[in-house]
Amino acid sequence: MLDANDIALVGIGVGVKLLLWPAYHSTDFEVHRNWLAITASLPVSRWYYESRSLWTLDYPPFFAWFEWMLSHAARLLDPRIVDLDNLDYAAASCVVFQRLTVIASELVLFLALCRAVRATGSSTQARVAAALVFLSPGFLLVDHVHFQYNGFLLGILVYSLTFALEGRDLLAAVSFAVLLCFKHIFMYIAPAYFVYLLRHHCFAGSKIDVSALRLAQLGLAVGVVFAIAFGPFVAMGQTHQLLARLFPFKRGLCHAFWAPNFWALYTFTDRLLSLIARIAPQLVTANISQLGSSTRGRVGDTRFAVLPDIPPIATFVATFAAQTPAFAVLMRRTCRPTRLVQATVLCAHASFMFGWHVHEKAIMLILVPLGLLVAAAPSQRVLRAHAVLSIAGFYSLLPLLFGAQELPIKAAILLIWSLCSLALLHANGHSAWECLTRVERLYVLGHFPLFALSELVPGLFGHMQFVPLALVSVYTALGVGYSWFCLAAAFLTDRS
Amino acid sequence: MSETKKKERLQDASVVPVHRWFQFLKSRNAQAISLPVTILFALLIRWCVSLHGYSGRHTPPLYGDYEAQRHWMELTFHLPPSQWYYYDLQYWGLDYPPLTAFQSWLCGVVANAIDPSWIALGVSRGIETHSSKLFMRASVIVLEFVTFVPAVVLLFRLRDMQMSWAARHVSIFSALMQPCLLLVDHGHFQYNAVMLGFLVWAVYFAAREQHVLMAISFCCSFMFKQMGLYYAPAVFFFLFAQCFRLQYGGLLFLKLGLAVLGSVGIMLFPWIQSLDQLQQILIRVFPVARGLYEDKVANVWCAVNVVIKLRSLFDTQALVRLSTVATALAFLPSCLHMFFKLWHQNPRTDNTTANAVTLLSYCLVNTSLAFFLFSFQVHEKSILLPLGAALLLVDKEEWAVNWFVQVALFSLYPLLFKDGLNLPYWVMAVGWSALRSCPACPADTRTPSIVMKLQWLSTLAMLTIHLGDTLLSPPASLPNLFVVLNVLYSCGMFVLFFVYFNYRQLVCLRSDADAAKQKSD
Repeated sequence: MLDANDIALVGIGVGVKLLLWPAYHSTDFEVHRNWLAITASLPVSRWYYESRSLWTLDYPPFFAWFEWMLSHAARLLDPRIVDLDNLDYAAASCVVFQRLTVIASELVLFLALCRAVRATGSSTQARVAAALVFLSPGFLLVDHVHFQYNGFLLGILVYSLTFALEGRDLLAAVSFAVLLCFKHIFMYIAPAYFVYLLRHHCFAGSKIDVSALRLAQLGLAVGVVFAIAFGPFVAMGQTHQLLARLFPFKRGLCHAFWAPNFWALYTFTDRLLSLIARIAPQLVTANISQLGSSTRGRVGDTRFAVLPDIPPIATFVATFAAQTPAFAVLMRRTCRPTRLVQATVLCAHASFMFGWHVHEKAIMLILVPLGLLVAAAPSQRVLRAHAVLSIAGFYSLLPLLFGAQELPIKAAILLIWSLCSLALLHANGHSAWECLTRVERLYVLGHFPLFALSELVPGLFGHMQFVPLALVSVYTALGVGYSWFCLAAAFLTDRS
Repeated sequence: MSETKKKERLQDASVVPVHRWFQFLKSRNAQAISLPVTILFALLIRWCVSLHGYSGRHTPPLYGDYEAQRHWMELTFHLPPSQWYYYDLQYWGLDYPPLTAFQSWLCGVVANAIDPSWIALGVSRGIETHSSKLFMRASVIVLEFVTFVPAVVLLFRLRDMQMSWAARHVSIFSALMQPCLLLVDHGHFQYNAVMLGFLVWAVYFAAREQHVLMAISFCCSFMFKQMGLYYAPAVFFFLFAQCFRLQYGGLLFLKLGLAVLGSVGIMLFPWIQSLDQLQQILIRVFPVARGLYEDKVANVWCAVNVVIKLRSLFDTQALVRLSTVATALAFLPSCLHMFFKLWHQNPRTDNTTANAVTLLSYCLVNTSLAFFLFSFQVHEKSILLPLGAALLLVDKEEWAVNWFVQVALFSLYPLLFKDGLNLPYWVMAVGWSALRSCPACPADTRTPSIVMKLQWLSTLAMLTIHLGDTLLSPPASLPNLFVVLNVLYSCGMFVLFFVYFNYRQLVCLRSDADAAKQKSD
């Protein structure tokens, strides 16, 4: 089952994560502490109404139940953790407890990856890819420093995809439904599942009645999961409140630190054009009064001076349009389980590129399924795209940890991971670095001067503090966008 | 298959995780990332440990070693050298040799350039802001990566012929990730890596037969921290033997003498005019008024004192004489053995230099361990000296060095616990044991099974003392029971290691000669 190598890897991971406990933690820490307090102190009927704190419960019910489970242990350790009025409580006991819950819940990811390795052939490449996913900067920096529970949620996703790879479509569907009830952001990849399950599970054969039966089974299974999750709240008549909490559209187009997606490039272009408008008004007309607070990197409605404004509906249309390659992949002649993983990658990628208020943390949603693809003898194109995407994507996470104390940590973790990824992942006997084209290699190496500019020379930009962040977003957005084209092309034309 | 290939295969066929990592890199053709990843990982772990507590944290009015080092930056930056060894001796007066003072001055210059409030004269005492802590931690890391890390890498690279690629990198990794140095320097807060770095440079120059440079490096080592003198007999006898062995020995002796006097002289330059100043420096650096030992240390005297109250039976003078004689008796056999072996080395047999360095390494361990066990005023941190030398032998003495590190780390526990470094201690202790010896793995073919069983017993003993410390409260009559048990256990183990390493020094050349014979047959 588990060999000494796996245990050593987990051991190193846990060791580093434990040592990191005093590091910076973001407001997400307080968010989760508040949710511990809400679920511990209030009856279920009040969970989605509580608003004493700014950080209201905005994840689906299963996550609330998960916090409820944890809150029992929290109360035993230190009752002040679950005190609703104890806002911003960050004593050592609280920090250590919450960090430990993240470490412990990552066990799900570890077990899922073990299963995935078995499902993709247990080759050395599979093990390397799995190890790289488990110890990726995305988890170490975001989950264990910044503070989130992505590891455990993405573990469920890995389970779901692994079940699909093993041919167990019903289990895949159920686990994905469970995942949706933990965090609804995964709805972005639901279309991929929907089309795949219809094609692969329901209408695979020719008999209509079998198809109908399977469709009914699927519907029932998924329906039961949703019923267990949302049923109690619907029964209490809280549907409207739940929807309002789960889908807050008051936030702006771009997250505070621009995720490296299309809208970051769009915003940057707009700023550039407005700058040109200020210098040479005859070339470009601008509505300068529309310029909002987005330059200062705070959350708010993003307004554009030159280019047209983007309403949320436009992002939906764009995302859906961008997801067509995923559907095309699923509609290819052979519909093997790998196609689902490919489609998941493309759907997640499309939603990252064009979604509304995307967090750069969402890059993990693309990279984890891509890791599964890299595990099973990938083509050179896929490996190259993975290298560019992972390095650019992880780099875009670095500004999340903005303190000087975390600088060596994030730099060392990313460098170690990148070196291992480029050297140890192989395609056709060549390492990833060897597969990269000259331009791609230059792009990857370009992150070094980017780091120097954005992190090491803080005073250079004076009052224009957003410039280094914008630089990071734009540069990494290029990589993320480029890899999207590469992956789409690769998945649509691979001959396996 | 040729003999060298067979030997490489045997060396590489290992089940220990850290070995397997490097073999894996080799199998994936990824040797190029080996050194960068090792060094980056070393940096990462050091910085992570730096996040935790340090000596004297939040404990006014005196705080601890961290505040002492900061205070020295303050006083060396603001005051002229003539006052450095006189200024406010009650509040962390300077008691290290001049090179530490110069290093403090350099750090003070940098600190002042970034934020003068960190070392403002008088007012910055006990400053514990986030940014000042970052600066202090960064200074330790920068100094270590400038002095210690390059020395280790270069030394192990130099011994290319004797080791396989994987074994060489395992040694570098082990020397860099040794938990004791890491936790004391980056946790408790000290600059021991600089002193050890100069020593490793000295060994490096010895391996290159550049004896004058070796002498100068060693001078830097003990002029940085007088603890480096624990190695002095070994270095002295080594160089003395070279004078006898080599052709122009007399000239070499002269050169070495001049080099030593010259480097010490240069480092004492600001005070060389005044005899009073020099005397003051001597008094501060060698405080002979203190007793046989301070606090609890895994030293023979402290251990014996548990049963026989030495300090009440004899007076200080007698105890000084006793410890001096004991220390000399302890290190002389090893040093004399090395001296005679080197003197009578046959230059025509292979690997003269390699053998010399091996002998030197063993002698360094034995000498420093002799001082640790029998000398006067030993601190528990002094175990870093035998450890530093032992890690030079990590490829020849795998299980012994592993075990030695484990026990040394255990002996440092009371100190680390006081600094709030409980968690890093456990992470590093488990990490070291798991990565280097892997008790869960099937038996490593190179470790005798009796040794593995004894190691298990040893680990069990240490865990038992830890458990007792955590779960039970000591009886009122013996309030320091568990610290004393720690000291007794560690001291006993150190004595055993002392005997073992002496024995190994006597036979090391024989086993190497056998291996060389096998190669040539």
